[in-house]
Amino acid sequence: MHELLLFASVPAHQHHELLQQLAGLTAMQPRHRLERRLVFKAYRKPGLVTTRVGASQDVQGADLQRLNKMLNGGMYYTQVVGPVTKADFGATSLSAMSASHDADVSMSGTDQSSYCYENQPWKLEFRDIPEAGTRSAVTTRLMASASLPKGDIAVPMNAWGYSFVTEYMVEGDVFVQNDIVIFLHRVLLYPQAESQDLHGPRRQLPAYHELTPLERTGSYVLQAAITVQDGSNQEMMKTASQHLFGLREQLKSAVRLEQADRLSLDTRAK
Amino acid sequence: MSDSFTLPLRPLLEKRERPDTLPQEIAQINAQYGSFRDVTEESLRATIAEEKNKDPWAEEDEAEKPAAEVDTTERMDQLYKRRAEITQFAMQAHMEALFALDFVSLLLSKHTPRQAELSMSAYLKQVAPLGSLNAEIVNPPPKSEAALQDIKTVSRGWRIQNFNAAANKLLRSATRLETEVASETKYWDEVLAVKNKGWKVCRLPRDRQALGVQYGFLEATPIFRDRGLAALRRADDGSLLLDKGLIPQKIRTVRVRVKTQGQFTGCSKVSWSLTNADSIEGRILQARDTVYEEELFHEMVREARIMGSQGVTTRQNLVQVPVSEEQEVLLDLVDVDQGEPADTESLSNEHDTLADAVAHSIRILLAYAHRQNLRRRTQPPPPLTPKRRHVPEYQLLRPVMAYLQHTAHVRSLESFMGDIVGVLKAAGLRCGFTSAPFSSVRLPTVHASVPKVETLVKQFLMPFESTFTGNLLTPESSFCVKVRTNTVSPPSGTYFEITVNLPHHPEVKPPSRIGLPTEAAAALAHFMLLDIVTTIANKGVKSPEGTDAGKGVLSWEAAYAHHGELRALSGSGNNKKMKVSLSREELTVQTYPLRGVDVSGSAEKGKTANPRSQSWRADSSESRPSLMEFVEEVSQDRP
Repeated sequence: MHELLLFASVPAHQHHELLQQLAGLTAMQPRHRLERRLVFKAYRKPGLVTTRVGASQDVQGADLQRLNKMLNGGMYYTQVVGPVTKADFGATSLSAMSASHDADVSMSGTDQSSYCYENQPWKLEFRDIPEAGTRSAVTTRLMASASLPKGDIAVPMNAWGYSFVTEYMVEGDVFVQNDIVIFLHRVLLYPQAESQDLHGPRRQLPAYHELTPLERTGSYVLQAAITVQDGSNQEMMKTASQHLFGLREQLKSAVRLEQADRLSLDTRAK
Repeated sequence: MSDSFTLPLRPLLEKRERPDTLPQEIAQINAQYGSFRDVTEESLRATIAEEKNKDPWAEEDEAEKPAAEVDTTERMDQLYKRRAEITQFAMQAHMEALFALDFVSLLLSKHTPRQAELSMSAYLKQVAPLGSLNAEIVNPPPKSEAALQDIKTVSRGWRIQNFNAAANKLLRSATRLETEVASETKYWDEVLAVKNKGWKVCRLPRDRQALGVQYGFLEATPIFRDRGLAALRRADDGSLLLDKGLIPQKIRTVRVRVKTQGQFTGCSKVSWSLTNADSIEGRILQARDTVYEEELFHEMVREARIMGSQGVTTRQNLVQVPVSEEQEVLLDLVDVDQGEPADTESLSNEHDTLADAVAHSIRILLAYAHRQNLRRRTQPPPPLTPKRRHVPEYQLLRPVMAYLQHTAHVRSLESFMGDIVGVLKAAGLRCGFTSAPFSSVRLPTVHASVPKVETLVKQFLMPFESTFTGNLLTPESSFCVKVRTNTVSPPSGTYFEITVNLPHHPEVKPPSRIGLPTEAAAALAHFMLLDIVTTIANKGVKSPEGTDAGKGVLSWEAAYAHHGELRALSGSGNNKKMKVSLSREELTVQTYPLRGVDVSGSAEKGKTANPRSQSWRADSSESRPSLMEFVEEVSQDRP
């Protein structure tokens, strides 16, 4: 699948107004969305055979070549996305309280509103670096998503050769206009962990107000995305970018949607 | 406004004193009428009367009369002549203008030859060399004092006239503006009133200058969604006009009629009166209703096409839905104000309520479909593929049809069971059943994510199920009938699922799925019959075994239970055969004497004098012996 994108930066003071405008444009109420995003980095397991490259006399079988390409090809960062609700926040204090009351009671299940890490659904989202040298004025990149098992995701991800890097929170509203998904969002960072070792995802979420936006001014990012099943179908890609340009025209007086800097969306792990 | 307008626009005419006007006027009168001596009151009155009586139009009439009489050919001639005249004048004017141009060009060619040459005609260039004409200022000879005075007066008159004309124009435009402002105010007041009522007022996407009001349904099919927007135009007097463009102004609505055995027996209400049909609000409401009704009909026709296999037929403006063998529902789109032509056809109003209920249901179902559309639209879309997504037909007729068919089937089965039970009761047998119609429809539990209305409607889009349960005569035996109707997903139609528990006939298994109500009824009757036969056989077994009363009493055993035949063998040769038959009208028991003891039953039969028979009907009032009494009676071991 391919994804075509346009972005715009929305200052905080314009946020409310733009929400209204988008609601009018798409004729729907915004769907609020809160997502935990964990960043994983692919790594090479030690002890893997690294074949020499460039030894031209070393003739390899086609299968072996392909396998080598897969194993030694580019390494990417991937994201694991888990939807949460506002009620999940601040559960730390609750469970901490209950823990202080009765240390024997297990954390999960003591309180209805507490965040249950074991039941957190996850989705793997892979995004390639945007395609280079395209004439079109939209960002185009290869993408794939897959559902993952619930609960502690670090273990299976480790088994697949990914190591946990960091995590953050995304807060925003989603609109749908025909085929275009409009996501007006911003990145929130967790408060600086004082003692927590950052070798795995958090098991509890801090209170919501403790989260700080990555962008100090509190501005938002408007992302208009359209996915195409078959990226090699030029006709479809063209249609999709036409749709995006149509949206750009409609929103012209409010925000300026434009292509993102390709290298800033680089997901390759060096 | 012109009254309160204080700025003086008209020129002030100063009344100059003209002391010597009187002698002039006297001289004028003398010249016109002759000497004053001849002027008397009578002569003056006569003159005035003459002036008054003279028809002011007389002259013109005379001039026009011959014009009116000209026939068409002359008129054509005249027309051509006039046209030629007009052309001639135009040509002349053109020529004169060209002459003037030539003249000016020639004059200018002295100073700017290059430029002037461009506008000179070719002929002039030939005959007159460039720069051959010059102009100089000459001092005009001094004019006389009187001429100067004249010019002064004339120019003064001209100026006053022009001032007057300008003042008139200004005042006229002031009044025009005033009315314009008034009508504009009225227009905007009405627009505001519409907006305050909660209608969405916006600019028209095509015509950016005009305002429009959105009354349609956002989730409707695109053609109907786009029709839900009409321009709010301003009439000359400022009142609001609803301009729907090319869409006809007729008010249309879907009418539901019920036809029973070829005759109309019900019709839904077609016109419901709006309280203020002429106000702009009323007109918007009407437009909204019409667009909804037309969409409803459009969607019904679309749905009816895929229901052809279920007997639904469509005509150009009619959808026919069969409900049961004798009843069908007809839906068509009619004009509200066309009156009711169906009056003559409608024979009774027996099913008016049914028709109204159907009419309401399909509207509710369309609203539900709109909600589903919204839900689908606001979900993240699937990736773009070359294939177009098919919009599924709305479920409008299918649930209604399923419900009506289900009701019809359940009713027929219920009445059949009622009849059978009545017959059995008349025969003194205790039997009963309970029916649970629409046991599958449950009131929804409140779910936070889905609105209550939607869950309620959703219940009626599921397959319907009703159950009948009852006990049979023999203990521990029972039956259960499940009636299922499903017209939404492919295995459509109604089917009956019968389960019976007959301990005495464990080998009897009902067919798994019965499609026809008559077959289901026949199967049930058969099980009842089996049950009766078993009861009679049991009775025979019980009574003789216990006591010596068995002497002289025959015991019955089922010979061909499935045909309702029993047999009693006796030592004294009074073998008997009993035949039980059960239908919804009656229960009949016949006994025949049987000669010969062949167990296979192929013994030769000889009817003696008394074959006995007894039948019970549900409606018979006379008291008869019950079945058991009859059986006891015929069980006596005598011929």
